[in-house]
Amino acid sequence: MATRLQYENNCEIGVFSKLTNAYCLVAIGGSENFYSTFEAELADVIPVVKASIAGTRIIGRLCAGNKNGLLLPHNTTDQELQHLRNSLPDSVVVQRIEERLSALGNCIACNDHVALTHPDLDRETEEMIADVLGVEVFRQTIAGNILVGSFCTFSNRGGLVHPHTSIEDLDELSTLLQVPLVAGTVNRGSEVIGAGLTVNDWTAFCGSDTTATELSVIESVFKLREAQPSALVDEMRKSLIDSYV
Amino acid sequence: MVQYNFKKITVVPTGKDFIDIILSRTQRRTPTQVHKGYAISRLRQFYMRKVKFTQQNFHDKLSTIIEEFPRLDDIHPFYGDLLHVLYNKDHYKLALGQINTARNLIGKIAKDYVKLLKYGDSLYRCKSLKVAALGRMCTVIKRVSPSLAYLEQIRQHMARLPSIDPNTRTILICGYPNVGKSSFINKITRADVDVQPYAFTTKSLFVGHTDYKYLRYQVIDTPGILDRPFEDRNIIEMCSITALAHLRAAVLFFLDISGSCGYSIAQQAALFHSIKSLFMNKPLIIVCNKTDLQPLEGISEDDRKLVMEMKAEAMKTVIGQGGEPTDDNSVLLTMSTLTEEGVISVKNAACERLLDQRVELKMKSKKLNDCLNRFHVAMPKPRDQKERPPCIPQAVLEAKAKKAEETAEKEKRKLERDLENENGGAGVYSASLKKHYILADDEWKEDVMPEILDGHNVYDFIDPDILMRLEELEREESALQGLEADDDFEMDGAELTPEEKAALAEIRKKKSLLIQQHRIKKSTAESRPTVPRKFDKDKQFTAERMGRQLSSLGLDPTMAINRARSKSRGRKRERSPDRGVNDGLHSMEVDGDQQNKKLRLRSRSASRSRSKSRPPGEVVPGEGFKDTAQKKKAIKMAKGSSKKRNKDARRGEADRVIPTLKPKHLFSGKRSTGKTDRR
Repeated sequence: MATRLQYENNCEIGVFSKLTNAYCLVAIGGSENFYSTFEAELADVIPVVKASIAGTRIIGRLCAGNKNGLLLPHNTTDQELQHLRNSLPDSVVVQRIEERLSALGNCIACNDHVALTHPDLDRETEEMIADVLGVEVFRQTIAGNILVGSFCTFSNRGGLVHPHTSIEDLDELSTLLQVPLVAGTVNRGSEVIGAGLTVNDWTAFCGSDTTATELSVIESVFKLREAQPSALVDEMRKSLIDSYV
Repeated sequence: MVQYNFKKITVVPTGKDFIDIILSRTQRRTPTQVHKGYAISRLRQFYMRKVKFTQQNFHDKLSTIIEEFPRLDDIHPFYGDLLHVLYNKDHYKLALGQINTARNLIGKIAKDYVKLLKYGDSLYRCKSLKVAALGRMCTVIKRVSPSLAYLEQIRQHMARLPSIDPNTRTILICGYPNVGKSSFINKITRADVDVQPYAFTTKSLFVGHTDYKYLRYQVIDTPGILDRPFEDRNIIEMCSITALAHLRAAVLFFLDISGSCGYSIAQQAALFHSIKSLFMNKPLIIVCNKTDLQPLEGISEDDRKLVMEMKAEAMKTVIGQGGEPTDDNSVLLTMSTLTEEGVISVKNAACERLLDQRVELKMKSKKLNDCLNRFHVAMPKPRDQKERPPCIPQAVLEAKAKKAEETAEKEKRKLERDLENENGGAGVYSASLKKHYILADDEWKEDVMPEILDGHNVYDFIDPDILMRLEELEREESALQGLEADDDFEMDGAELTPEEKAALAEIRKKKSLLIQQHRIKKSTAESRPTVPRKFDKDKQFTAERMGRQLSSLGLDPTMAINRARSKSRGRKRERSPDRGVNDGLHSMEVDGDQQNKKLRLRSRSASRSRSKSRPPGEVVPGEGFKDTAQKKKAIKMAKGSSKKRNKDARRGEADRVIPTLKPKHLFSGKRSTGKTDRR
């Protein structure tokens, strides 16, 4: 099921957190509210870790990871790296990579099997992604945007992409990723999906501006709460038409 | 999209306040000091400024009023008509028109008086003109003060109007007074409309919001309508009519089938037929309310016929929208707001039909094509045989199953937030980041780890499998050591031949000799510079020596020497023999045969004994030293500082320097007669 929340009055929660099937990273904030929302939902199952990367709070945009590993940008400090290594289980490989494009979260979108990357990423980085995260890597754009990590989010069960993605692109991406995909928005029409939404195979968190329609799209496409993606074309179709057109 | 919010109109002051505001502002914001002695142009300028400033302020204030009040022709017709019903369009326009006229009049007055002020010839005249100008402006405002008061009242009323969005999904409830419209809106929305058992409890439009299928619907409760000619209807009823006429909404026509509202079914049917033109092109549902008092089946035959007639009318709206004529159950519905029976089904039916209608309209619009991709779920085509299963931990599935079994009881986890609240709240409580570390030993969690140790970054040396590597290294080393133990015997010249041994000894001896020589030279060199071989003064590296060395090696040196000679430049003139030597040896006997006149002269005039020099430590006044000790120390320090430099044969500050060997100004330009020396 999906939860709506805010980080210090900011709805772009994907910027301040990183959720995967094996761990959840949360930015260190002024109060514990943001952390506790994740904690209440996840702490029984996976570690929820407060972290900073390169001294900043925008951890979701700086790192990329899945249940197999976590990639950190080159400007991560040694202490932060050690903190993450200590906090995450040994099955998760934490790796710092030398890549010119240091906002890895914006440049890499991945689930446990497939990753989409920015077309300009180094070859070594690409190999590193394949090795550390254990995924197939595809260089892609989403609706003409090279920042694939910002404009899409997908789990092993489904995915949400930029609202301007054409139907052909959707089908192509869906075949690449092997999950059902839907073009949509979060946070009351925001097209930066990666920033407004963070998701794993059984739960999702989105910004508190997200409307009921957007939330129900998210729940059905990510198959949270017994909803199926097909619901989008059946019972929700009318509501969607009325709200989008 | 235009937002209809009339709450932001600025307050309209009454005529008297208006004048006070403007005049006091003129007093505060323009200069007040003036003297008779000023130049007349300055006096004129002083008063002109006051007049112009006042006019500008009047103009600004009146303009904001004119601009902020909505123009009835420009806003949505629903609001246009509603405002007309409530405040009378003519009156409203007249008031705004008067304000506009006042604004123009004031502008004209100011213009006239500024012109007159240009001809003012004394302080008194100028002042009188200013007073007259401000007075006339105030009179103009005083004359429109009734309009201002009227506009203020309208402003207050408009600020309290419900914020109805005419373009969104809307459900409109209408019917006779007292049939249960307000009870219904209270049931399906969170609006808190007053419900009383008498007619016209609701005197204006009320808005509530409800959700259906992820969408928000605006529900509008209208005042009751009586069945009478259009002209006779009062303002309260007209509000309902306006809403019905202009809002594209689903209409719920409420019918009190028990008749407890005081109107029979026949009367209500008559109303229905008289306003049915307003229901054109709108999803219409007839709602039979108060079934707790009188079920639909129990009404008389005549009434039933009337109800069926209405239903037939309502069916036309369904057919008009291209719907199926058979699905009659969404046209006539029964409910009881008292027992809440059927309330939700009424709401759902209304929302559903409205949604259907809107979707149908939108399907025809061009905008749909831009959004088509958003109604498309891309399902993956298999591209390989690989299985890509989701990864949901067992704990999640268990928790889900557990939740499904027992919805309530679940021991709540103590969250960080709770801890924070217990320990002083946000900003005071600071949680340890190390609390949840996953380490081999829990006691290690809070261990302090140095960042820098012995000038090295500790983390550069951290390796996850450092222990394993250490073990490996040790193993390797012990293996090597075992090998080396066997090898050790073989060094130390056990297998050298006696000749080789002798040669080795020779080599070592020579090496040590060289080292010794070098050391001696270095230690005795003291402050003498050690210069490169090129500048060798002792002439150690001469051709002779080279020849000697080469022949000692058994080689013929002639070729090499010839070669070196041919390359070397010719000898320079040797230094002339030392005069001092001559002086010392032959000064007595040499007398007449002096070949050099200069020398001769000098030798005679020079005194034989040298005068005593000043000891180096002696202080001379004017040198700036306190005493001998200080001077000695200074000299020592000076020597020390130049020692290294001298030893390296480097150039010091005392060395002669020719900054530019050929200064440009001395070697360029045409030289006319007599210029050579002077340049």
